Amino acid sequence: MAPLTIRQATKSFGALKVLHGVDVNIEDGEFVVLVGPSGCGKSTLLRLIAGLEDMTSGDILIDGRVVTGLHPKDRDIAMVFQSYALYPHMTVAENMGFSLRMQNVPPEERARKVNAAAEILDLTPLLERYPKQLSGGQRQRVAMGRAIVRDPKVFLFDEPLSNLDAKLRVQMRAEIRQLHKQLKTTIVYVTHDQIEAMTMADKIVVMRGGHIEQIGTPLDLYDRPANTFVAGFIGSPSMNILPGEIDPGGLSFSSAKGTRIVLTQPLEYGVGQRVFLGLRPEDFELSQDGFEAVVRLVEPTGAELHVTLAAGDEILTAVFHGRPDIEEGATIRVAVATRKLHLFDRETTLRLGARPAAHGEPDGSERQS
Amino acid sequence: MVRWQRSLWLFFLPSFGLLALVLLWPLAYAVYLSFFDYYLGAPERTFVGLGNYAGLLGEARLWNSIGTTLIIALGSVGLEFLVGMGLALALYRLGTGARVFSTLLFLPHVVTPVVATLFLKWMLAANWGLVDATLLTFDIEPPDWLGSPFWAKVSVILADAWIFTPLVMMVLYAALQGLDTAQIEAAKIDGASDWRIFRHIIVPALIPAIIFTISVRLMDVFRFFDVIYVLTGGGPGTATETITMYTYQLGFRMLEVGKASALGVITLIVVAALLFTINRTLTRIYRRGDQ
Amino acid sequence: MSNHALTLGGRRNGYGLFLALCLVTFVNLVPLLWAVLTSLKHPADAFTIPPTIVFEPTLDYHRKVWFENDFFRFLTNSLIVSLSTVAISVPIGSFAAYALSRIPRRSAGPILSVLFTIRMFPHMLLAIPFFVMGTFLNMIDSYPLLILALVAINQPFTVWLMHGFFLDIPRDLDEAAAIDGCNAWQAFRIVILPLARPGMTVAALFSLLLSYNEFLFALVLTGAKTKTLPVAIASFGGEDVSAWSLSAAGAIGIMLPIVVIMVILQRHLVRGLTAGAVKG
Repeated sequence: MAPLTIRQATKSFGALKVLHGVDVNIEDGEFVVLVGPSGCGKSTLLRLIAGLEDMTSGDILIDGRVVTGLHPKDRDIAMVFQSYALYPHMTVAENMGFSLRMQNVPPEERARKVNAAAEILDLTPLLERYPKQLSGGQRQRVAMGRAIVRDPKVFLFDEPLSNLDAKLRVQMRAEIRQLHKQLKTTIVYVTHDQIEAMTMADKIVVMRGGHIEQIGTPLDLYDRPANTFVAGFIGSPSMNILPGEIDPGGLSFSSAKGTRIVLTQPLEYGVGQRVFLGLRPEDFELSQDGFEAVVRLVEPTGAELHVTLAAGDEILTAVFHGRPDIEEGATIRVAVATRKLHLFDRETTLRLGARPAAHGEPDGSERQS
Repeated sequence: MVRWQRSLWLFFLPSFGLLALVLLWPLAYAVYLSFFDYYLGAPERTFVGLGNYAGLLGEARLWNSIGTTLIIALGSVGLEFLVGMGLALALYRLGTGARVFSTLLFLPHVVTPVVATLFLKWMLAANWGLVDATLLTFDIEPPDWLGSPFWAKVSVILADAWIFTPLVMMVLYAALQGLDTAQIEAAKIDGASDWRIFRHIIVPALIPAIIFTISVRLMDVFRFFDVIYVLTGGGPGTATETITMYTYQLGFRMLEVGKASALGVITLIVVAALLFTINRTLTRIYRRGDQ
Repeated sequence: MSNHALTLGGRRNGYGLFLALCLVTFVNLVPLLWAVLTSLKHPADAFTIPPTIVFEPTLDYHRKVWFENDFFRFLTNSLIVSLSTVAISVPIGSFAAYALSRIPRRSAGPILSVLFTIRMFPHMLLAIPFFVMGTFLNMIDSYPLLILALVAINQPFTVWLMHGFFLDIPRDLDEAAAIDGCNAWQAFRIVILPLARPGMTVAALFSLLLSYNEFLFALVLTGAKTKTLPVAIASFGGEDVSAWSLSAAGAIGIMLPIVVIMVILQRHLVRGLTAGAVKG
């Protein structure tokens, strides 16, 4: 358990700059998720922390100690790889105890620690098996066990769940979260799946193109995305983002494609400006005060109804709970509460204005460029 | 390279250090020797600069050996390629049972070349060899396989082919097995004949393997020693004396190590030039084929 | 699994092909078979016109060549030389090959090209300085010089072969080992090497085969004491027809271990020889 500081991390592979002076502060015991599309640099950043890649410039500090330039084994970290990287010719017990063996820990103590970790992860019956005899989920747990035995200052996870099937993934997410509560170690977790990020993280770092787009708690990112990228990235189905203008008077929005969306309450900022309007699918309500839209497609999931709407030339996705009576081809009236709207500047894509925070919460999200 | 792996460079040391010591040093020494007129065993050696080279390049015997080398090279590689390709296709087409045949056909390649050559020698020996004995039984006058300048060359070519065709066959067979059958089947449905399929689909796909085989075989011919030494010793006279055999004669029979080294260096240059040219030409054909 | 893609005319064609292959294989193996027969014949039967196919076999000459003609001693020499070569060549070649598989691709490329070039060196060019230096150092007819030469000649192929095998071992394992506390040597010895065992077996077999069969360097660097089998059998050549049975017995004796190994491990041998050739 230790705080982790990343200062101005820059990485170039030859002429290609992959990370542009990234800063991240991680508290002791925090579960931080690095998330973003392919190529955003999240895995590279993780590998820099681990010491598997050299930093072009910048520093990494673990527990106040500068580890930049240190061999991975001297950084007091442990890593769970996407492919698990279990040693095929060793048993589960040997795999898990390997780091202790390298430290010349006597066999009895080694066995003790391995058994303890095996208990936590439910691996005790498998200790004498070989990796090829295990299922994907079991291998994943052995990889975690190997990391736990090390008792490191920081745990690093590199997309550990992407090789598992959907059901197992949900189960493992909960198990990892549970493990974190138990061990209270600092965790840095990389994934491209924003649902994993949202459900597991204490803090999320959204990355794109080697830059950080936003750092904040899951709800921060959901309620107050700092720009259109984060807005569209977090939340599933994605937020509807429409380019257009707030009409003078602040009572309606005219999209670039000519659709006019009437607002339930007048807007106090952004009036007359060119903006991106953000509407979360789950914020749609059926309302006679709203705007008209034609139902193109209805997809029931059992608990929800995913509806594709056409308002003029704009295609919108809406999610309704329960089973409202909506038929394909019908025309309905929907609205989104004004306080749930997201406005972004057309040129900079940055979030606009002091939208009053819900329930008096402080506006705590950080935005970095 | 990544810092934590920097010590990997040390891993190269034993192997490449040894290579430098055991290959580069003798090579340098050979080049050094090539500038001397040196009879091994004599107390002194005289520096002659490029004298050895000039002398060799003016010798008929040298050019004769180059000619012989070329004849044998083209003959054996050509033969190996044709037969090898044919066998590879046959194995490919056969499917089941190919494993047994390929093992048996590969045998002559695995046997010690010296031993394999002896086997052939007993086949081709005058009068009493199997071939002669069989022909004589039918009252056919056999050619002097090892004693006539022309037939000796033929015998060497046949011997080389016997030993190395299996290699060509195996490489081409492996390449065939990597072929995309979907393409072939599509062509068949379109009504293409076997020959067309061969020429337009199979051959282009095999070009890397073909380039590899031809390059390696051509290079090998220049290093070829065992077979000729045992089969004909370079004879009759100098009829089958390749560059390598002549170098052997110079260095180890006549003990003119200076001159032999010079010839060795010449051989190296020729091989390098040949390798370069082959690679360039064949790669160009390959590229043009792509278009 | 037959390749229906190329089968035309169905069965009829298949049989024809089969018979043709049988014939070709038989003809191909005649020299071998003939030598086996010769080795079992009395000299009188060995050279006759027409050639004798039915005869009274004898193992006399096989016995003689090993026990009375010193071939056991030559076998010992061959084994000492080839086993030593393998024992040195494979480990150091594996070291280099492992490093080669882990450094960035653009650095590895030129090194592989250089190795390929070295492979193409005419051996005769190297035999001369070896002979000269050996004569000076009085090391002709001793094992070390020959072993050294063979190890060096073996390296390019061994490194290239093992390189292919090491590339197949995921780099993840190196990284996991590094995090777990291994330096490069420990990672190699404890984690990677056990996984490379099948590859090393193939490389060892090839090294063994090539050094067992080596002729030129053995001819040049050995004498009466250290003569290896190929050198010994070459001088049994066969100008003297009456010695045919004996030499045939010797030749077959030399050949047998190779054939046995080859039949058992054919798949590995072929894979090693053709690897890389197909992908170019």
